[in-house]
Amino acid sequence: MNVLEVSGLEVRYGHGARRKRALAGVDLTVERGEIVGVIGETGSGKSTLARTVLGLVRPSAGRIVLGGQDVTGYRARQWRALRRRGIVQYVFQDPLRSLDPELSIADSLAEPLLVRGIARAEAVNRAEEYLSRVRLDADLLPRLPGELSGGQRQRVTIARALLTEPELVLLDEPVSALDAANRVQVLRILQDLRESGVALVFISHDLGSVAGVADRIAVLSEGALVETGTARQIVATPSHPYTRLLVSSAPTLRAAPADRARREELRAALLNS
Amino acid sequence: MLGLTSGRIAVAVLVVVALLAVLGPLLAPADPIAQSANTLAGPSGQHWLGTDYLGRDVFSRLLEGSRVSVTGALEVALVALAAGTVPGILSVYLGRAFEWAALRLADTLIALPFLLFAVAVTALLGNGITQAMVVTGVLVSPLFFRVSRAATLTVARSQYVEAALIAGASLGSIVRRHVWGKVLPAIAVAFAQTVGVGFIIVSSLTFLGIGVQPPAPTWGGLLASDLGYLNFQPWAPVVPALLIMATVWAANLLADAIRDVSGPAGHRVPAGGTA
Amino acid sequence: MTSTIEPGTGAPVLSVRDLHIRRTADGADLVRGIGFDLSPGGVVGIVGESGSGKTLTCRAALGVLPAGCTVAGGRVHVAGLDLATLGAAELTQLRGATISAVFQDPASYLNPSIPVGAQVAEVVRVKKGLRRRDARRDAAELLAAVRLRSPGLVYGQYPHELSGGMLQRVLIATAIAAEPRVLIADEATTALDVTVQAEILDLLADLRERTGLALVVVSHDLAVVAQLCDEVLVMRAGEVVEQGPAERVLQHPEHEYTRLLVDEHERYGLDRFLAPAEAGA
Repeated sequence: MNVLEVSGLEVRYGHGARRKRALAGVDLTVERGEIVGVIGETGSGKSTLARTVLGLVRPSAGRIVLGGQDVTGYRARQWRALRRRGIVQYVFQDPLRSLDPELSIADSLAEPLLVRGIARAEAVNRAEEYLSRVRLDADLLPRLPGELSGGQRQRVTIARALLTEPELVLLDEPVSALDAANRVQVLRILQDLRESGVALVFISHDLGSVAGVADRIAVLSEGALVETGTARQIVATPSHPYTRLLVSSAPTLRAAPADRARREELRAALLNS
Repeated sequence: MLGLTSGRIAVAVLVVVALLAVLGPLLAPADPIAQSANTLAGPSGQHWLGTDYLGRDVFSRLLEGSRVSVTGALEVALVALAAGTVPGILSVYLGRAFEWAALRLADTLIALPFLLFAVAVTALLGNGITQAMVVTGVLVSPLFFRVSRAATLTVARSQYVEAALIAGASLGSIVRRHVWGKVLPAIAVAFAQTVGVGFIIVSSLTFLGIGVQPPAPTWGGLLASDLGYLNFQPWAPVVPALLIMATVWAANLLADAIRDVSGPAGHRVPAGGTA
Repeated sequence: MTSTIEPGTGAPVLSVRDLHIRRTADGADLVRGIGFDLSPGGVVGIVGESGSGKTLTCRAALGVLPAGCTVAGGRVHVAGLDLATLGAAELTQLRGATISAVFQDPASYLNPSIPVGAQVAEVVRVKKGLRRRDARRDAAELLAAVRLRSPGLVYGQYPHELSGGMLQRVLIATAIAAEPRVLIADEATTALDVTVQAEILDLLADLRERTGLALVVVSHDLAVVAQLCDEVLVMRAGEVVEQGPAERVLQHPEHEYTRLLVDEHERYGLDRFLAPAEAGA
C-alpha cells in the first residue's frame, strides 16, 4: 500500500514577475516499509517538497494523498486534525533548533502525545520506551537539549517523530550535522525502523549518506525529478546528465583521476542544455 | 546574586509605595485639605512633617497624594502594555501592509516628546490626569511593541514551534508551552520601566499644576508649593522629591533586576556542540 | 623579504616537526606531536572531527595561532624559514606571498559593501606592490584563473550576489594572488553542495598541476581528502592516530578510528555500490 502519493505537484512562490517555481510537476510514491531518498542541492526544492507534504506550504497544482486520504484541499483545521493522528512526522536537520531549549527532553518528547489528549504520566512512559528504541538511556529525560551531544539530540528528535507511531516520517538532512560515529548510528536506526514497517523519506544533498540506506532514490534538480530508481541504479548506472555529475562529484574513497575529465564534460553538457 | 538582592530592595520600595496609595487615606492622621492657622510649622508630634503655607498636615497630604501617582503610573504602564504588545505580536502575522504601517507608526510615536504631548492633550481635553496618562501610555507603547515583536519573531521562526505545529498542537497550546515563558520576562522588564516613566510624568504634570485641581494633594504639587517657601522651610521640598526619586529608582532597579535574572535563561545558549 | 635559496627542488616548502600547541589558560596540550613534510606540488591531507586539532595545526603553519594558544614544542618551517625566529612583519610578509589559506565560510572574509574584484585587486596591490591599474588587470586575470564563468561580470559584483561556490573561488583567487607556494584549504568545501565541492577540489588539483602549488587539504570527510592527497594524517583529540601514503591508509587502515571512517563509506556510502575492481585504478 502506498503511504504517500504525490502527483504533478507544483509550488510557486512570490507574485508577478518575481514569481518562481519551486516545484515543477513532481511525482513520487512511497510504500510501507520503504526508505526513499530524495537528493537535491541548494535550491532544488527538496525542503519545499517536504513542507508541502506536511501541509506547511500550499501547492498551486497537483495532488497529495497521505495514507489513502487526499489532503490536497485541506484547510488549517483539517490539517491539525490529521497531524494530531500523528500518521506523518518530520525530523529537522538541526536538532538543537528543533527542540525547545527550555523544555526537558521528557517534555519535548511528550508534546505530540499530550496534544492528542494522552495523560502526562503515560506520555513520559512512552517517551522512555522510544528513547531505548533510538539507543538512548532514560536518564536523559530530565535534561535540557543543551546538555546533550549533537548525536543524542538528533536521536531524541527521531524518537519524538516515532512516538505517535506514524506511517510516514520525513527526514530533512538528518545526518548532515553529525560526525562519523553518530552518522553511522543514526543510519543504523533508520534501517531498524524500516523493519518495523514505517515508511521513510530521507531528504539530503549528500548522495553518499542516502545511498547507504535508501531502497529507492529520486533526484531533484531545479524543482523537477530528473531521475528515479533503485539506489544501485542511481549510483552505478545513472542516466540523466545531472545524476551522472552528482554521482561523479560525490567524494568516494576510490576516486579515479579520470573522473575529473568526465565531470568537466558533464558540466559543459548541463550548462548547454 | 546581585540581580536578586537589588530586585528585592526594589520590590520592597514599590510595595511600600503601593500600600501608601491603598491605605494612605486610612492612615492619615489629619484631613489633608483641612486648613489651620498653624502655617509653616516644623515637625512635631502632631504634624510629623510639619504643615504647609495653609496650615495643612504635610504627612497626610503626602499619603493622600501617593494615590494619584501610583494610579497614574499604572495607567501609563497598562495602556502602553495593551497598545504596544497586541500590535507587536500581530505585526508578525498580519501581513506586509500591517507590518509596514505598525513599524512606521512605532517609529513616529517614539520620536514625539511625550511630556509635551501630555500637557497639550490635558489642555485640549480638559484638566484631567487620566487623559494625560492614556496619551503618555500610547506614546511609550513602542517599547512594548518592539519587545513583543522581537520575542514573537524569534519564536515564530523557531523550528521547535514548527515541530509542535507538525505534531498537531493548537496555537493556544504552542503559546502556552513554547512562547509565553520566553516573552514574559521581556514584557515584565518593559512594564517596570514604563511604571518608572509613569511616575516621572505624573510628578512632572502635577508639579506644573496640570491634571489635578488645587486643593487635592499630589507629590508634584507638594514639591512645587514647598519650593515657594524655601526661605522659611528649606528642608520641606526634600521629602516629596525623595519620594519621587526613590519610586522611580525602584522601578528602574526592578527592571534591571528582572533583566539580570531572566537574561541568561532567555538567551541560554547550550554549551554542547556537535559531539 | 629574507628568502633563503632552496637546496633542491625536492626540499619541503612546508615542514612541521613534532608540533605541540598548548592552551595557556590551563596548560592543556591541544595538539600533541604532529609532523609532516610537504614538497612543491605535493598534497597532504588532514582528516579529523572538529576539536581534533587540525585547524590549530593549520593556524600554527600560518603563524596565526588564536589568542591563548602557543607553540609549546616542535618547529614549523615554511620555505626553509623557521617561523619561531620570524618577527611579526616578516610573518605578515610570508603569509600570502609564500603560504596562504582558504577557510569554510568565504563570505565572512569579504567586505559586503565592496565589489569582489576591487577586493582582490587591493590584495594584489598590497602583496605584489603593483600600481592600481596593474593590480586591476592582475585581479581580473586571477578571477579567470579560478574558472569563474564570467570573470568580467563577477569583478563588479558584491559578495551577496555570488553563490557559496563562487565566493570560495574569489577567496582562492585572493589566496593565490601573490603566487604562494603552499595553499591550506581548511574545510574549504564543507558548506558547499556536492557538485560545487567537486568543482572546487578539481580547481585545486588543476592549480597544483599548472603551477606546482603545494596543498594542505583539511576535512572531516576522509573521502574529500582521498580525492587529492598523496599523504594522509588522521587526527583525533589532538593526536595523529594514523599517518601514511593515501592509498595505504584507505586500503589498509590500521587504527580503529580510521577503520570507522573507511567503514562508514564502504557500508553506507557510494563505495557500497562501486566494484572493488575499480580500486586503485
